[in-house]
Amino acid sequence: MKIGSIIILLLMNMIFLSGCWSNRELPDLALVSALGIDKAENGQYVGTIQVINPGNVAGGEGTQATGSESTPITTYTASGGNLTEVNRHVSSQVSRRPYYAHTNLLVIGEKLAREEGIAKIFDALERDPEFRTTTKAVIATNNTKAEDIISTLTTIDKIPSNKVIKTLESTEQILGQHMNVDTRDVLSKMATPDQAPIITCFSMEGDENQGKSLENIQATVPEARLQASGIAVLKDGKMIDTITEDVSKGTMWVLNKIKATAVSIDWKGETDAIVYQVTRQKTDVTADMKNTNKPKISVEVSAEGRIGEAAVPVDLSNPLLLVEFEEALGEKIKENIMSSIHKAQELKADYLGFGGAVHRADPNAWESIKGEWEDSYFPEVEVDVTVDAFVRRTGLRNEPLLSNMEN
Amino acid sequence: MKFKLRKLSRPITKSIPKKPGKKEEPLDHSLPNNLDELMKRTGNSSDIVVRKLTLNNDAKSRAAIIFVEGIVDNRSIDDFLIHSLINDDDLHRVEAEDEVLEKIAAKVVSLGDVKRINGWDKLFQSLFAGDTIILVDGIAQGLSTYTKGGESRSIEEPPTEISLRGPREGFTESLRTNTALVRRRIKNQDLWVKSITLGEMTNTNVEIMYIDGLARDKVVQEVCDRLNRINIDSILESGYIEELIEDQTATTFPTVQHTERPDSVAGNLLEGRVAIFVDRTPFVLIVPAVFIQFFQSVDDYYSRADIATSIRMLRILIFLISLFAPAVYVAATTFHQEMIPTQLLIVLAAQREAAPFPAVIEAILMELTFEILREAGVRMPKAVGQTISIVGALVIGQAAVQAGIVSPAMVIIVAITAIASFATPSYSIAISARLIRFGMMIAAATFGFYGIILSFIILLVHLCSLRSFGVPYMAPMAPFIASGADDTIVRLPWWGGKERPRLTVDKNSIRQGDNQKPKPPSSRTMK
Repeated sequence: MKIGSIIILLLMNMIFLSGCWSNRELPDLALVSALGIDKAENGQYVGTIQVINPGNVAGGEGTQATGSESTPITTYTASGGNLTEVNRHVSSQVSRRPYYAHTNLLVIGEKLAREEGIAKIFDALERDPEFRTTTKAVIATNNTKAEDIISTLTTIDKIPSNKVIKTLESTEQILGQHMNVDTRDVLSKMATPDQAPIITCFSMEGDENQGKSLENIQATVPEARLQASGIAVLKDGKMIDTITEDVSKGTMWVLNKIKATAVSIDWKGETDAIVYQVTRQKTDVTADMKNTNKPKISVEVSAEGRIGEAAVPVDLSNPLLLVEFEEALGEKIKENIMSSIHKAQELKADYLGFGGAVHRADPNAWESIKGEWEDSYFPEVEVDVTVDAFVRRTGLRNEPLLSNMEN
Repeated sequence: MKFKLRKLSRPITKSIPKKPGKKEEPLDHSLPNNLDELMKRTGNSSDIVVRKLTLNNDAKSRAAIIFVEGIVDNRSIDDFLIHSLINDDDLHRVEAEDEVLEKIAAKVVSLGDVKRINGWDKLFQSLFAGDTIILVDGIAQGLSTYTKGGESRSIEEPPTEISLRGPREGFTESLRTNTALVRRRIKNQDLWVKSITLGEMTNTNVEIMYIDGLARDKVVQEVCDRLNRINIDSILESGYIEELIEDQTATTFPTVQHTERPDSVAGNLLEGRVAIFVDRTPFVLIVPAVFIQFFQSVDDYYSRADIATSIRMLRILIFLISLFAPAVYVAATTFHQEMIPTQLLIVLAAQREAAPFPAVIEAILMELTFEILREAGVRMPKAVGQTISIVGALVIGQAAVQAGIVSPAMVIIVAITAIASFATPSYSIAISARLIRFGMMIAAATFGFYGIILSFIILLVHLCSLRSFGVPYMAPMAPFIASGADDTIVRLPWWGGKERPRLTVDKNSIRQGDNQKPKPPSSRTMK
């Protein structure tokens, strides 16, 4: 009985003596919302962390006092030979412990991506228990450093990382030229030869020093703006080129990522006279492996949408005319897709995922060719593109206003 | 049955054996001696009334009637005792003196119950129960006549167990009224009542009620045995008995249910449970009680089964909220910030910027404040109740936040916990959850969610180890008993379950006939 109670006492001590292990109060944490990594001239990494000042972001009680006087974020920069070192060095500037579990944006400098590749830093990020693989990744291009993207203040979305992510999401859905990629996608694509990774590029327009001050977000036209600017193509973990406009849109078509976009065609000599708004689409990429050494890829796109603009007098109530439109639209989309395929073959980077199609069609054959797929097979591969565009409706009116005016 | 009833090796007699009392002192032959003795023993208590009178206008045949003022019905004494005794002419014809009492009992007293008494103990017992004692000179015996009465509360709606649908009657302080309320609901000869007097000083009447043939004999016997074991000076409320007959004392959970509602008692009796009535309290005990019983309200049985089921699920949720809400908040904000959505975390962090205390101190502080407020509100006289609500809104609310003592999110957490702990239908389980909540908070502050889960497991093991009169506390979920499971978190419609719960009923387990599900006539027969 006595021994029993002593044992229980000792067990209780075990609980209470160990104390609040790994206990972190909220005011002791620096919430890192974005992480930027550049490469310095001397070959060292330069890491920039964007730390949220919660009091300046959240509305409600206690925030009115400090209010909009100070910035919603603060950035800290440190350098080191590897990411862990960078993180340790940053702590000499931050009063709190950097907390990466809520980091939702990773910005990689173009110099780093082109020269060294992203494989090394991604290992550190994937290994870290706090850092999430759902973090969105972008590459800073057009002479913009990752640090600039991280430290530019933005309007509407007070936290710049949120602004970047939301821009990515909306432009992917509306424009269809950029892609919302998280680090997990990049990692999984880097790990297989089926598909090469692509990462959307971001750049800052304007004065980088202006972007760091509050005045930037007090103007209707901010001096420094962040915007998406094409897609970076990676090969063997290194960035080799960027694709923009029609080429990147064609890529989105092939990757089945188009949610909504606009396609314009010329009509009766008028340039871009008819605008077609895609509402839904489906792309199937299949490989024909009858001849193992010469795989044939077929891309089948079926799109559905409505007429968004008609700048020439046409009778949209005529179904035969719509059929003509559909043919022209198909051609236009096919053109886009072909341009993107040609670009990919030229770069010898299979970001279109044709390797994956071959893999699915004939896994055994893929085993033997996957080593030289990107360099030998992919550039030569024959691609058959068929586009079936369908005009579901013509918008709220039939005949364009123009046809009335001309009569 | 997958479990065994404990402590049941004794023979089953189903009755309460009389306690071996000391030998009773007999009354004296002489009336003045008896009256002197009475006055001596009661210390001349002023509420004891002795009315001397002569029988049959004969100065020699003196008599006295004795009663306690306030607990008797004055009108019955005046009209049916004194009046009859004084005016009756038959008594002088009695030859033998001993026959006087018999004559009085048979012919004179026109009251319901008349008993003969021989000794002082019996006399006092009847006297203080509200009976009137008749003593006649020359006879060493007395008569006790039923004149119980006096002021008592009328039947009102039970204030602690309000139901939206169902009878509005509640128990009162009068034992007889209470048993009658149940008797009126179950008109059957199998409804048996056993009586026992407990408390050396208070001599409180305690009665157990059960349905013979439904209640397990072993349980009834166990209840009788445990009641007989009680040797205490006073029983002022059923809470005394509840504590003295529990299976497990080292727990915060109630293993005996109490109720103020006769319909609830009736329902429980029909499920084979035993009710314990205690005089002078409206709270009736019901045993055995299982955990899920405390989440059942009488409304559940009167409203549609689907509604009742969803409300019970809500109650389980409410119980969990009142147990875990502050603990989860503390754990999430001090250990697991990664599981809070980013936007919410920023808001919380902004609020916590200015907060002077760690989250757990803040939580305990606010919970304590609330408990103080609640305690004050319960005991506060109505006249100052408004003051409390105004001041209460200050300490748990905007003012506490503006003073910079607590963060606004904590106020929300405390408020939801408070509402949740009041929404649990049974007060005894709600208060138990309230106590455990503080333990949970400390566990959360030391180990985060790991601590919460650990404490929860300990709690579950503890709950599973409890028994109420031999019945496992978590039954019929653990051990799972299919025939009782139709009335747990889910209540099947009345036509859905044919059997009474096996937990408390072993024989006569069929409750209703086959095919009780209502079927509309098919269209062919509608013609």
